[in-house]
Amino acid sequence: MEIKYDSVYYSKKENTPLEKLILEDVNLEVKEGKINGIIGKCGSGKTTFLELMNALLLPTLGSIQIGDYLMEKNCKIKNVNNLRVELGYVFGNPKRQFFLPTVKEEIAFGMKQFSYKLDKIDSRISDALKMVGLDDSYLERDPMKLSNGEMRKVAIASVLAFNPNVLIFDEPTLGLDSISEKSFLKMLKLLKNKYHKTIIIVTHDVNMIHKIADYLFVFHEGKKVLEGTKYEVFESELLEQYEVVRPTIMEFSYQVLKRKGIKLGYRDDVNDLIKDIYRHVS
Amino acid sequence: MIEIQDLVYQYEKNSPDYIFDKLSFKLEKGSFTTLVGPIGSGKSTLIKILLGLIKVDSYIKIDDLVLCSNNMKQIRMEIGVVFENPEDVFVAETVMDEIAFALENQNKSKKEIWRKVDEIADCVGIKSLLECDPHTLSEGEKILVSLASALVADPQILILDEALSMLDEISKRKILGILKECNEKGVTILNITHDLNESLYGKDIVLLQSGKVLLQGRKEEILKQESKLKRAGLELPFLADLSIRLMYYGVLDHMILDMDEMVNAIWK
Repeated sequence: MEIKYDSVYYSKKENTPLEKLILEDVNLEVKEGKINGIIGKCGSGKTTFLELMNALLLPTLGSIQIGDYLMEKNCKIKNVNNLRVELGYVFGNPKRQFFLPTVKEEIAFGMKQFSYKLDKIDSRISDALKMVGLDDSYLERDPMKLSNGEMRKVAIASVLAFNPNVLIFDEPTLGLDSISEKSFLKMLKLLKNKYHKTIIIVTHDVNMIHKIADYLFVFHEGKKVLEGTKYEVFESELLEQYEVVRPTIMEFSYQVLKRKGIKLGYRDDVNDLIKDIYRHVS
Repeated sequence: MIEIQDLVYQYEKNSPDYIFDKLSFKLEKGSFTTLVGPIGSGKSTLIKILLGLIKVDSYIKIDDLVLCSNNMKQIRMEIGVVFENPEDVFVAETVMDEIAFALENQNKSKKEIWRKVDEIADCVGIKSLLECDPHTLSEGEKILVSLASALVADPQILILDEALSMLDEISKRKILGILKECNEKGVTILNITHDLNESLYGKDIVLLQSGKVLLQGRKEEILKQESKLKRAGLELPFLADLSIRLMYYGVLDHMILDMDEMVNAIWK
């Protein structure tokens, strides 16, 4: 499904003295079937970018094309719920989302609101749990008593049950320890490779995103200022200016090049880096 | 100084599950300790106990005061706390009033209060936000306001409960830098987190697991214990990981946790 922003502007509290420009001239196209990372410091417009995608907000200027939907200022979108089913939005903090006593009811809740047939619901719940790597033994468990990592998986399953084309995550790994994070990243790879989902992750955690993203967009003060593969983005001299830090492993290579003139190459794995260092030292 | 001796605590009396079963440790005055542990290791419960929000019978000493209901008021004046979700504790409509709140409850004169608020806001770098409603700020700014509210009462001890986990790297480094300055002025700091990277700004590390202290000591020593830390679900900071491997290959002879120092040590 095509997701394309064409000269998008968004102002908060438009036509009032408190008017504030949040997004400015954003042009970008999300890579289909890939893991897209959106990075930038707090207040750079990342969340507004997502709210526009879901038609929770409409652009002040410019347009957004999402599959067959075109979103412009003051436009009326037909069947906006269908759009939101196509784009599965996973909230940051699952604890604030759960309110039913079992995992099964929690996942079924959304589908019931959309009047899915009951027999269809059961098989979809199982399928969705399988996609996030949980089995049917979780069905009757209390979602609030799961570990943080498991809770997030259940939250994702409740979105996957609708079989969306696109999955959107806002700060998905906040508060996860490194074991849960690894398992989450493995699941994302599976969703991309096996189920061919387009994945969009908004985050400020560069140490996580560089392990997983195929393509990155950098936001700064409401503008999309950089895009490219992680190597292109994290090699850029402009990052300091955009107040984005490099993943520590890439920062190391960057500093070595800057201070000693030695080109180590940008590695994601410390074992590869060690080999490079060893080669240059000995 | 925080001293805990043989702390025993369980959620339900007569239950076989203990949150803490004879937990003991001591943090010296003026120390900067990062307390790490997996989720469910008892980190947050420990803070509640230190603040007297959960009553226990065990011996706990905070500076010169033994933790008991008679000393509670004084102990709470000595400890400043910054929580993960600061907006849950915001009470005022402007940042200025929020920071002043603690002092207003101490019968200080107006003039003194505003001088102090101004000084702290300057130190934390939020002078431009003083007129704002704290609820409308970004996550990083909220933590800064919460930190200023804690520091304004001149605490001897500052505790952070996962306070930095919601922040981007730049805000995080900024706040850790402020904490380091406070520590240099003599404030004892206890930062509770599951991100070992934060420990690089402190001096000591305590690893809590299943209600017990598994490791305690200087960060340079503790970060060498790769397998124990990994088993607790913690990821080594990149420079610690790199140091361990380079030590193995004989390129380095000790752990280096500073980027500049590392680059210069490898290519002398």
